[in-house]
Amino acid sequence: MNEQLRAISELDRVIHEPGRLMIVALLGAVKECDFLYLLHETEMNKGNLSGHLARLEEAGYVEIEKTYRGKVPQTLLRLTRAGRAAFDQYLQGLKAAF
Amino acid sequence: MKDELQNYMARPCRYNNIDGTGEMGMGLMMLGYTFLGYVQANLPQGSMWRHGLASMLLFFAVLLLMVGFILWFPKAIKKRITWPRTGYVAYRVGGKAWRKALVGVAVFSAVIAAALGCLRRLDTRHDWISLAWMGNVAIFGAGYAFWIYCFGREHSWKWLILLFMALGLLAIALLVPGDIVGLRWLMLLFIGLTWLGSGGATLFWYIRHTQPPTPAAE
Repeated sequence: MNEQLRAISELDRVIHEPGRLMIVALLGAVKECDFLYLLHETEMNKGNLSGHLARLEEAGYVEIEKTYRGKVPQTLLRLTRAGRAAFDQYLQGLKAAF
Repeated sequence: MKDELQNYMARPCRYNNIDGTGEMGMGLMMLGYTFLGYVQANLPQGSMWRHGLASMLLFFAVLLLMVGFILWFPKAIKKRITWPRTGYVAYRVGGKAWRKALVGVAVFSAVIAAALGCLRRLDTRHDWISLAWMGNVAIFGAGYAFWIYCFGREHSWKWLILLFMALGLLAIALLVPGDIVGLRWLMLLFIGLTWLGSGGATLFWYIRHTQPPTPAAE
């Protein structure tokens, strides 16, 4: 198989989905952020965003922490070590593919 | 696609100035330096605060206060206005990108300091727009242009602020009597006020275009 095609076929499909790619790209650039920030930046609706986050959490890529800011509930999100490694690998794969 | 992705990954960095606090911080820093220079220049000649260890102590005390305020002020705005409206972000400290940014800032600051030092020695006359003054305009203009490109490109009106800043500096050079050394505090005051105003306008725009969250936002 052609090297480029192989690189494309080996891209992580959990991350490759556009909605999840947006989430992981944003989380990859920060230490942590909250649900509201992702909602604002990705312009997804709450249901879609929650669904993608649940999928990423299931894959072990994202850590979700429910907490409070004063009396307001806050959902903090961060990439796990595995998530960061998977994203780095995804970027390398992308570079190889294009 | 990779470029688009990297551009997307730069969004959290740009988000840091969505409320204008970055610019206001820089403006406050300039005003702090102006205040420091003004205080030291206006102390009596024989004052102990103007010479030796005491002057250094005064300098560092004011500097410490200034840095504390500059760190506290943007955070207070973010905590009360930005985070409840468009979300909270904590940035990564450490890592390759952080080291690169630190080296970049250090090199940039060193180049500016060296350039300002050289320009100051070039001439101190003010009977025409001196090379030194033009250099100052170019350095601050280029620095602000770079900053707008990195952090403020959503607001195209910031380029007009840049033009206003450059024209204002030239007007000071032409209209106000004095040499470049004597006018440096006026120059810093003008730049500080311009950046503070631009940051304030950004904050106003941000508040106008965002809504406070409902209790069930999450």
